[in-house]
Amino acid sequence: MILIAVVDDDYGMMFNRRRQSKDGALRERILSLAEGGTLWVSPYTYRQFSDCGAGNIRTDEEFLRKAGPGEYCFAEEALAAPFADKIEKIILFRWNRKYPADVWFDLDLKADGWKLSETKEFPGSSHEKITEEVYVRG
Amino acid sequence: MSVDRKIRGMRRWIPVYLLILFLALSGCAGGEEKEDGSAQAPKPLDISAIAPYSGSPYVPVNDNEPAFTAEELTAVSFETYSDLDALGRCGEACASVGTDLMPTEKRGSISKVKPSGWHSTEYDTVEGKSLYNRCHLIGYQLTAENANEKNLITGTRYLNTEGMLPFENLVADYVKETKNHVLYRVTPIFEGDNLVASGVQMEGMSVEDEGEEILFNVYCYNIQPGISIDYATGESKVEEKQKNDEKESSRPEDNGSRKEEKPSAAVSYILNTNTKKFHKPSCTSVKQMTEANTREYTGEREEVVSMGYAPCGRCRP
Repeated sequence: MILIAVVDDDYGMMFNRRRQSKDGALRERILSLAEGGTLWVSPYTYRQFSDCGAGNIRTDEEFLRKAGPGEYCFAEEALAAPFADKIEKIILFRWNRKYPADVWFDLDLKADGWKLSETKEFPGSSHEKITEEVYVRG
Repeated sequence: MSVDRKIRGMRRWIPVYLLILFLALSGCAGGEEKEDGSAQAPKPLDISAIAPYSGSPYVPVNDNEPAFTAEELTAVSFETYSDLDALGRCGEACASVGTDLMPTEKRGSISKVKPSGWHSTEYDTVEGKSLYNRCHLIGYQLTAENANEKNLITGTRYLNTEGMLPFENLVADYVKETKNHVLYRVTPIFEGDNLVASGVQMEGMSVEDEGEEILFNVYCYNIQPGISIDYATGESKVEEKQKNDEKESSRPEDNGSRKEEKPSAAVSYILNTNTKKFHKPSCTSVKQMTEANTREYTGEREEVVSMGYAPCGRCRP
């Protein structure tokens, strides 16, 4: 699977069972990445996409376990470390902001041998700059 | 959210809209009515119930549930600031933050305001050196308040950037993205006649989605790691522990006498000299730090804190 996650400056993801932030331009970017394939999300994350009309979104509480090879998983609140072995690629978006957090991105990119292969930036609909990093296995 | 729920939600707001004028006048005072008809201030936070600072710049209050009443929630923007008290101290500030309150130009100077307990004090261990910042209760990015003395307190750099800023960002970006409102209240907590607040309580709730996206109630500590503050006056000094360490390190290394060995509470930490945070060596954040910002340190936790480093919120060393 190809893991997608969004983090703040401290790798935070959630606070008080709520995502730190959201952005329409980021949603469009995620949909374009998964175009032609499958995008797995949790029911919580699906609320972000319910009005987008995309037919390739699959929703399941255990989406990280059920996703197959080459399929995209957008994990907002789910911890990915238990499924590290099946992750083929990581697309990490950065808000470039500091938010409160009590759930953090739980993969150890360097220790697990992930290699940064690509970085790009784009303006969000409400965020000045969102960074997109692609990590592949080293 | 289902259509039914949306309609129910809209109906819920009808009486709220009728109270807009009242709310604009009374702000978030809420609570029960006093005999003269005005609203009573909400019950102040009992600071004795707050755990002492232990590494996190903020802690949840009431399981993150704010104390707003249904009558206080309004989808019409407003902002209110309490008058200064007899000691010149700020009180509660409250707003229903909407895009119409947000700044359209860069912040102006606020240096003329001298909040209660203000001192211009610098330490090398503090990011940017200045111990105190003029901390907006309601951040400039939310309501565009510049040099409003009713909205500025004496707050440490740590309170400003690690405690309050993350919540201001949370609210600002939600409002900008959704064009919704967030009911937002910041209350400085002064103990007795202290001129410097011990901390601030921050409450927030997104209005139109009834807290689905934004909901918090936290206490942020007005502390600075490694610095001891007299909250009565705002005077400050390097913590005794650090002073002792400095004396120790200034002694000749080997004068023939045998130095007493320290107790073996030494632990290895990784310091980020840029963010001034310290981590466990196993912390995933360490792997993502640049080499230039990375420093290894073996010693007691207190020593690291006294050097001005704050513990990572992720690995909680």
